[in-house]
Amino acid sequence: MKMRHAIFALLISMSLIACAGAPQSKALLNSYTSQNLLSLNSTAVVLDVPFNPQQDYQCGPAAIATVLQFSGVQTSTHEMIDAVYVPARQGSLQVEMLAAPRQYDRLSYVIQPSLEVLLAQIDAGKPVLVMQNLGISTFPQWHYAVAIGYDLNEKEIILHSGLIEQYRLKLSTFERTWARADHWGVVLLTPGELPVAANELAYLESLVGYETVGSGDLVLQAYIKGVERWPNNETLGIGLGNAYFSQSRYGESIKAYEKVIDAYPNSAAAHNNLAQSLLQLGRLDDAANHARLAVNIGGQFQAHYVDTLNSILAKATEGKQ
Amino acid sequence: MKMITMLKKSLPSLLIVVFSFCALQAPAMASVVTTEQLMAEQRIEQQREAAHAFFSRQDVQAQLVARGVDVKAAQSRIASMSAAELSTLNQQIDTMPAGEGLGLVIGLLVIFMLLDIAGVTDIFPGI
Repeated sequence: MKMRHAIFALLISMSLIACAGAPQSKALLNSYTSQNLLSLNSTAVVLDVPFNPQQDYQCGPAAIATVLQFSGVQTSTHEMIDAVYVPARQGSLQVEMLAAPRQYDRLSYVIQPSLEVLLAQIDAGKPVLVMQNLGISTFPQWHYAVAIGYDLNEKEIILHSGLIEQYRLKLSTFERTWARADHWGVVLLTPGELPVAANELAYLESLVGYETVGSGDLVLQAYIKGVERWPNNETLGIGLGNAYFSQSRYGESIKAYEKVIDAYPNSAAAHNNLAQSLLQLGRLDDAANHARLAVNIGGQFQAHYVDTLNSILAKATEGKQ
Repeated sequence: MKMITMLKKSLPSLLIVVFSFCALQAPAMASVVTTEQLMAEQRIEQQREAAHAFFSRQDVQAQLVARGVDVKAAQSRIASMSAAELSTLNQQIDTMPAGEGLGLVIGLLVIFMLLDIAGVTDIFPGI
């Protein structure tokens, strides 16, 4: 009798979960069948991605090695264990998965939480590192896999997952497991490369992360590309100036900051950094003007602006003596 | 009658299962700033503050080493993290999800098999 109750309860709850559904797959397949073919060029793609079967708990190292190898880096699951595996957690954390590729001059770009954007990456020739919760929220089973293909006619996504090469999974089931991991997906970019369906904030995040270890030249290329794509983004513009500044290319950093100021006259940070560049070139009067503007506008980094102004004024008095 | 008794008896177990499995979402209210949105704002603020709060890269490195990561490896790992990422790792190293591949609690086998068949979970890729 008890068993019957349990099964009854289970069936009810299962039917409720089924209602929760897979809205993105549904919308995607609907617009596919109605010939309204989204941004995708193909109905089926399978990328030629190396396969690294995982051993126990090593889906993280295996998955990150896979996307790195595909983007031309020589590495292995074994090498990636040192880079991302945390023995006490018997697994790998997302922050570390993002950090590891930077050591190999790759930017880790987190895609928008959309199934269509995910498939668009594959369509553009990029495998996507995804996190899934294969279990349920109460009993999570976190897992990394690499999405390497899809087939809209069969309503399937194709993954390198665990021990299975080219694992075909129903798009709707994938969506549920992916949604339970907050739709987390990552593509690797070489510096200067932009993803398809690029989002400026996500690109900036990937760039700021890469800057921690990236070489000056490559970081600069990535900023140049970003500013080309989003010429009106204040942070990217200042970032470009900073990238030139850190290479001691002050003439170019000045131009970059000035361009930001044209669009954003009240950008205190741009005025401050412009003042610093002018100071480097010994143009003290111009430097002092922009430093004063920064101080007057003020804001979160006021202490920096005051410092800048003081050091310029000190330099000026020094010169007069 | 028998059906009602059965329903009554199974209600507690039914509720437990339903509540543990279902996080149903309330429909969005138009043009009202929802509490959830406010929370998101606050979360961003908190993260910013946390990023500025003082902790050294060595602290985070020590946390990794304490969890079995080789000292040298830990050093090179944290070198390529932004301030915000270090802060996240520092605070949530034991709570954030760790992708671990496929292990399983045996007691849940049957439930997951059924959920797998229903296409809700994917614990057994073979099914």
